[in-house]
Amino acid sequence: MTDLAPVSPFDASPSAVGRIARRAPIDWTGIAFLTGLAVVILLPLVVTAVWAFAEVWRFPAIVPQRMGLGYWQETLSRTDVWQALWLSLSITTTVTVISAAICFPAAYAFARLDFPGRNMLFLAFLSVQAFPKFGLIIATATIFLTLNLIGTFWGVVLIQLVGTLLYMIWIPVSAFQGVDRRLEEAARDVGASPMRVFWSITLPQAAPTLFAAILITFVNTFYETDAAWLIGLPNVRTMPMVMIAFINNALEVQYGAVLFVFLWVPSFLLMLAARRVMGADAFAKGLGG
Amino acid sequence: MAQVRLTGIAKAFGKVTALDAMDLMIDDGELVCLLGPSGSGKSTLLRLIGGFETPSEGTIAIDGVDVTHLPPERRPTAMVFQSHALWSHMTVHGNVAFGLKLRRLPRAEIRERVEKVLDLVGLAGYGARLPSQLSGGQQQRVALARSLVIEPKILLLDEPFASLDQHLRERLRDEVRDIQQRLGITAVFVTHGQDEALAISDRIVVLADGRMQQVGRPGEIYAEPKTAFVAGFIGAMNMLDGTLGDGEIAAGGLRLAAEGAGPARLAIRPEDIALSEPEEGRTVTVRRMIDFGSHVVIDSTLSDGTHLRIQTDKTIRVETGERVGIRVERWTVFTEGEAPRRYSSDTVRPFREARYA
Amino acid sequence: MIAALRSGMMGGRLSGLLLVALPVALLIWLVLWPVLQAMVGTVYFPGTGFSTASYAYFFTDDYSLRNLWLTLWVTALTSVLRVTVAMPIALYLRFRTGSVAALVQALALFPMFVPSVLVAYAFIRVLGPNGIVDTVLVALHLPKLASPYLTPAGPIIGLVWDGLPLTLLLLLSGLGRVSIASVDAARDLGAGSFTLFTRIILPRIQSSIIVTLAFNVLGLFSAFTLPFLLGPASPEMMGPYMQRTFSDNADPLNATTQAVITFAFCAAFGLIYVRAIAKGRKGPA
Repeated sequence: MTDLAPVSPFDASPSAVGRIARRAPIDWTGIAFLTGLAVVILLPLVVTAVWAFAEVWRFPAIVPQRMGLGYWQETLSRTDVWQALWLSLSITTTVTVISAAICFPAAYAFARLDFPGRNMLFLAFLSVQAFPKFGLIIATATIFLTLNLIGTFWGVVLIQLVGTLLYMIWIPVSAFQGVDRRLEEAARDVGASPMRVFWSITLPQAAPTLFAAILITFVNTFYETDAAWLIGLPNVRTMPMVMIAFINNALEVQYGAVLFVFLWVPSFLLMLAARRVMGADAFAKGLGG
Repeated sequence: MAQVRLTGIAKAFGKVTALDAMDLMIDDGELVCLLGPSGSGKSTLLRLIGGFETPSEGTIAIDGVDVTHLPPERRPTAMVFQSHALWSHMTVHGNVAFGLKLRRLPRAEIRERVEKVLDLVGLAGYGARLPSQLSGGQQQRVALARSLVIEPKILLLDEPFASLDQHLRERLRDEVRDIQQRLGITAVFVTHGQDEALAISDRIVVLADGRMQQVGRPGEIYAEPKTAFVAGFIGAMNMLDGTLGDGEIAAGGLRLAAEGAGPARLAIRPEDIALSEPEEGRTVTVRRMIDFGSHVVIDSTLSDGTHLRIQTDKTIRVETGERVGIRVERWTVFTEGEAPRRYSSDTVRPFREARYA
Repeated sequence: MIAALRSGMMGGRLSGLLLVALPVALLIWLVLWPVLQAMVGTVYFPGTGFSTASYAYFFTDDYSLRNLWLTLWVTALTSVLRVTVAMPIALYLRFRTGSVAALVQALALFPMFVPSVLVAYAFIRVLGPNGIVDTVLVALHLPKLASPYLTPAGPIIGLVWDGLPLTLLLLLSGLGRVSIASVDAARDLGAGSFTLFTRIILPRIQSSIIVTLAFNVLGLFSAFTLPFLLGPASPEMMGPYMQRTFSDNADPLNATTQAVITFAFCAAFGLIYVRAIAKGRKGPA
């Protein structure tokens, strides 16, 4: 970014600047980290992506014997894949919409309103974090057994919804708290009603973060496996369940790889957008850093 | 003894040049202030001397030894940081003793030296406290003690009092000056406050845009600024854009004797203007009178609307809207690429007599 | 004016409670109630009274104990590994800027965007039998490695990979409290890198490291997907064990007992972690 900074009028000629700049020390430590991380982080993903386009790749060849889109056609014409995709999308959409509808108002209340038991209730939400997640799911599943919710659409929606509560409340709480009170007060000052202030000032100011929270919830719910496995199977098979089946049953290796590329690229772009809005700090702060 | 010599220092961050063409010699026992607005490169220069940055070009020598590529811990320098940078998990004693412990001094000697230096900065008996239990001024004294205890040859101070209030800042800067003179230590002090610089330094280095504008004693810098920037930056100054010609400079309706031709800037200190009877071409309109108690400043406008500040005696009283005559006693003309020319009403008597006698 | 504000606050009290009512109800119904139910339901049986038989079974059953032991050491090792791997990167990122540092950060945070199913899949393709590592070794005429797939090393590697970003973010946020000037000051006085780390940086981020470890323990102790897909079938970690007991053996009582036991083992870490978040956020006030 500094490249764009204006050079002061006292600066020497461009050649002199170039001469100085070239002496900038090379960040060898950084390059070492970069190389290590590239191998460890990117290599697995690249290998998987190559598998998606490999029609024949027999051990021990370094590169596939034949590349092509054959498996794409085969994978994407499987009915179980499309069924799972639609099921996953409808579960995820339902969860996200309900979660936003009940959590955002609650987040606003926690951030801005004063009501009895506010701190205690907020702590109750945080305390969920004190339990190992899969243990909680087992405990909830026991309740679902008596309610006949195991293996049903709404059972999966409910358990996923609970999983989203914490994030859909704490991210928006900090978003609403982040809105400068003085902006709201200035609007009240020029004659806006409290409702008007909320719709015209508070909500637009918090909107990017709320949007990020929705994106994160959507993507995380889509790929959730623990709860979907325990509550959903065998009747409700979400997309990740189909992928796990592909992995476990050792069907054609490429099926998994194709789904990997097909599903992951859009979700990656969504998450990237979310993080751009939120910044790494917000993530860490919410986690207790 | 502890001399610092900078030769041809330049520093670039990426494509941005922070410092360029810097030659400076700091003498033993001298307190030099690096003065300039933010972004002028003064902190970068200090960090170069301390070894926290490496220059892109040029060399730094301390007592004739080239230290350009030595890390901070191998230089005989100690830095006091702007945000005091105390280690909050250590007590005052722990903070001050840290440098001595690294040098593996015997325990008794460490205690003795820490106590002595805490006494020096006026914090005797505070050793067991945590930094968080101290006031801002006390924290900064601990930071000073921490640097002094290792007996550096050169003390570097990076806007050490920037976060303190005015009153405390004035007291601490006097104390620093006092300690520096008692120890006879060489010190480099970075500040953006001209008062601070004028008050404590032996010499001031004025920096702007990564370039050295002027080096000199406080009075010298005030009285004889070498560039228009220094003229405007140090002390109050009326800076007027004008045109040279016919042996005078015309600026804002004011005409004063000056040589040369073409565009130029006219600099007049408020205290170099005296009030007199109104006269053609030398009359201003009073906008506001500001009474500082010890003196009076008159904010006025020239005939074309240009503002002119006049500092005058506390007994003078003028009304808003009143037209008063002025007499400029001293003025300086800055022309691009030339040395400034200074005039006073004495040196230009012939002109004055010719025109106004 | 004051009266209007006051009535606004009174309205705020009621509408505040109304606004949080639904999530709170959901929380009570689907989290707090089940937890209570799990704790009580495993020791008190209507009709027959108190019994700790399921716990006695767990702690005498050899297989259960082996699973617990596996979970304990995998959790401990993985938490420590995550911090050990993330710490140098965090230190580097805290004290360096520039385009290389930005790239390092982007890469290190990348696993955050990779769902665990995909991690498992990619892991098998790389480190599984005849994976890319084997392929490369064979091409170099070296012997194949013993694959970590379906051994405890499998989930450990997968979990370290998966958990690197959040560990890194937690450490970075802790390191954010160490001012660069305070490190410079120590360097100025002659502290070397090791002294800097142990005497200046470490004491300042102690609490962050503890919180990071607690966060990791909570996530790892009942990890399910990666241990299930990459780990050994016997003994298995608590996550897969609970799932099998619940679904395959249709034995909710023992599954719940196992869940309560995981709660107990994680209680201290949970407390540390929640206290840290609550303190960091200072409540919603």
